[in-house]
Amino acid sequence: MKSLKRGSRLITLMLLLFLVGMGILIAKIQSEAAFYISNSGSRNLGFVYDCNGDILFDDNAEDGDYPAGYFKDVGNLIGDASGQMTNTLVANNMEYLSNYSFTSGITAKGGKAAIYSTLNHSANEAVYSSFGSKNGCAIAYNYKTGEILVCVSRPSVDPITGYADLEDGSLLCKPFYKTVPGSTQKISTLTAGIETMGIDKLMSKSFTCDGTYVNKTGKEIHCHNQYGHGTQNIAEAFANSCNPFFAQLVEDNDWSLDDIINVYTQMGYAVNGAESRYYSIDGITCSRASTDLENKNEFNTQWSCIGQGTSMVSPCQLMMWQSAIANKTGKATMPYLIDHVTNVNGRTVKSAETAYSEKLFSANTAAEVKKIMLENGENYTGKIPGYTLGIKSGTAQVKNGDEENSLLTGFVDDDDFPIAFAILIENKSEYDVTTEAVANEILSSLS
Amino acid sequence: MYNNGLSYAGISLLSLLTHISMLAIVFAKGNYDSVLAPLILSAAVLVSDIVYFFILKFLKQNTYTIDILMITILNMSLIFQSCFGKVSFDFKHFIFCILAVVCMQAGFILTRNYDFIEKHKYIFYGAAGFIILSILLLTGSRGMWIDLGFITIQPSEFLKPVFVIICATSLAAQQKKKKILGIKVVYDNLIILGVTGAILLLQWWCRDLGSLPTFMAVAACAFIMRICYPKAKLSKKLIAGICIAGLAALVVALKFAPSYVQDRLKVDIWSDPTGNGWQQCQALIAIAEGGWFGKGPGHGRLYKVPAADTDIIFSTISEEWGLLAALLAVFMLMLIIVTALINTPRSYYHTTLTTGVAAVFIAQSALNIFGSCNMIPFTGVTIPFISKGGSSMLACGFMIGFLKAGQSALFPIPQRPDKLRQNRRSV
Repeated sequence: MKSLKRGSRLITLMLLLFLVGMGILIAKIQSEAAFYISNSGSRNLGFVYDCNGDILFDDNAEDGDYPAGYFKDVGNLIGDASGQMTNTLVANNMEYLSNYSFTSGITAKGGKAAIYSTLNHSANEAVYSSFGSKNGCAIAYNYKTGEILVCVSRPSVDPITGYADLEDGSLLCKPFYKTVPGSTQKISTLTAGIETMGIDKLMSKSFTCDGTYVNKTGKEIHCHNQYGHGTQNIAEAFANSCNPFFAQLVEDNDWSLDDIINVYTQMGYAVNGAESRYYSIDGITCSRASTDLENKNEFNTQWSCIGQGTSMVSPCQLMMWQSAIANKTGKATMPYLIDHVTNVNGRTVKSAETAYSEKLFSANTAAEVKKIMLENGENYTGKIPGYTLGIKSGTAQVKNGDEENSLLTGFVDDDDFPIAFAILIENKSEYDVTTEAVANEILSSLS
Repeated sequence: MYNNGLSYAGISLLSLLTHISMLAIVFAKGNYDSVLAPLILSAAVLVSDIVYFFILKFLKQNTYTIDILMITILNMSLIFQSCFGKVSFDFKHFIFCILAVVCMQAGFILTRNYDFIEKHKYIFYGAAGFIILSILLLTGSRGMWIDLGFITIQPSEFLKPVFVIICATSLAAQQKKKKILGIKVVYDNLIILGVTGAILLLQWWCRDLGSLPTFMAVAACAFIMRICYPKAKLSKKLIAGICIAGLAALVVALKFAPSYVQDRLKVDIWSDPTGNGWQQCQALIAIAEGGWFGKGPGHGRLYKVPAADTDIIFSTISEEWGLLAALLAVFMLMLIIVTALINTPRSYYHTTLTTGVAAVFIAQSALNIFGSCNMIPFTGVTIPFISKGGSSMLACGFMIGFLKAGQSALFPIPQRPDKLRQNRRSV
């Protein structure tokens, strides 16, 4: 009889395994049912609101329900449920918007499923308009909490009016995609210098700029000031955005390429073909920076550290580095777009919490970079009056030098108004709107 | 005799009430053009219930629990299958339900006597060989189906009951070891190993890898039962070696599996909801739309998706009847297996047979339900009796007969010594 019981035990074991599987299945269905429904044709989706209660997404909206262009400033960020754009807030969070529960099914009317975003719609609209006829993007957030307050990308799309005859790039929210950083890259190189050499040693170094520097391999590095900046230290060169200085700094014998690579990697760069990674901002993927640093005496490596070459950074990541500097912690405040989410019954099912990145660089380095950026910010008090700013501008040559993009990134040094931002204006010419004007609009519309 | 705790009339009434409740839901919430459709369905269900309960009184068995559970499940299945999309009596499924009951009785009579099976075990080896050959020669280009024009047969389904019987034979031979090339082996075990290998290769060849885990579950149970056989001598080293070899084979098989299998192992259904993930996405959406209590019989839309009444049947039932009803159907199916834990078989042969049947039913149900709900790769096997499919219904009917045999076994009556002496004299 004892041996017969073994058969029963085997059957019991199989039944138990099956029952455990069924238990997991029921739990899975319970937790994912809203997501399944959001992918079905019979869904009923709730609204996305901004921080003041303005509607940013209405699945049932038709042309004429809202003023013309009402959704255009957030079109490629918030998106819609049509599947035309995949890297948007709605596309990646449809299960939260589903007016559905497993017990009561789909609620056609009166469902309270909603996403309450951190975005400020009126500020967003103002910033979007401030670009005038130019394309580009801007992103700003509270560097203490991580709330994204402004995020615009031009050209854009108003999902209600449809997807016909769109300009190239209308469906991309550019703050989350990599671009040539221009001289804003010098923030990273400055940070790497302080992190590895220490501020005293770095400040003790001076190099001369004659307008053009011929490096050790015989290649010329040109400065934007053809007459040169003369002999400078790092703070002056940073303020002057002097390319020859930074080329000589990279070549300096006291600084090894491994040092630069290590700090860059710690800051989130994919260096020399390392696997690219992404940040996820409430489901929206944000590409991380990348660059190639192979030989510090060669033009390409020096050019990458200056902000051209193969260096690529997203405006969002530029902004995140500002938080690590402004907070003097060396850790970036992770940005988020969803403040809280309510389900079909109006119960809050998800609330945002402030989170930080791993250490990108030391707190001491952050403090020293902050000082230098604040010094540089003093040069902008005329153009962006009324704020204590840490700032760095940049000009990036794109399309084989045929076009120049203008960039500006920085932060407001004010505990009551802790805003970090990054701005990009594409193909900028002398008489176009300036990045400073856009920054002014961001800060004035948020204050 | 077993003490089942429930009276025959009581459990029959319970089964009848289950069907009446379901039919009431069909009348009240069903999607039908004419009331004739649910009326015909009701007549078929209730008459077959009553007729079978009546016939059952004349069958000589130790227990009737399995029969009543079987008729309960079959008629539940008939009601489900007749309602998908619109209420309409599924006559073909009804016929297969009746044939499944006939097969159950056949399987019961065939396997209730161990001596009979042991004496005729070579017939089952031959039957396995015949089925394998028929798959190789008659199913067309590496397919699974034999098309007879008026009906299609899936021979691999019939291989399952045959394999379960083969695995339960030759148990006593565990103690008759002989040396081959210096290694002690049991000849019958080698035959079983050979049949297992042949089935494995066959399934691989005809791309029916969905059934492979079911066969492997039966083989694993048979292996464990043989290890446990009284006085069977298997060293721990040998057991460990076999387990490691099995795992290695699994790893190699997964690595070199055909591309369509690799696709199913890796597929993220929600990234390809209109391609590779179509059926599973629709199945999960249907469960969500059905909720706990369903949209109502005939009000679903999943029936339009291929294999809605077979491979993704759990979701189709969930959508129209609710997740609770689908769980109840699976619970009833598992209850049949549970009877083997209450009315435990009285011989090692019947225990092995019962374990094999349990392995088939549990493995198939798990593969179907968990596969269609994207918890494991989607294999496309049926849930016994719940899914449509003649071959599967008949084969599973046979196997339920094996379970019955375990609970109403027939043992050879030993001859009395005085009778034995008389026989000798007459010789």
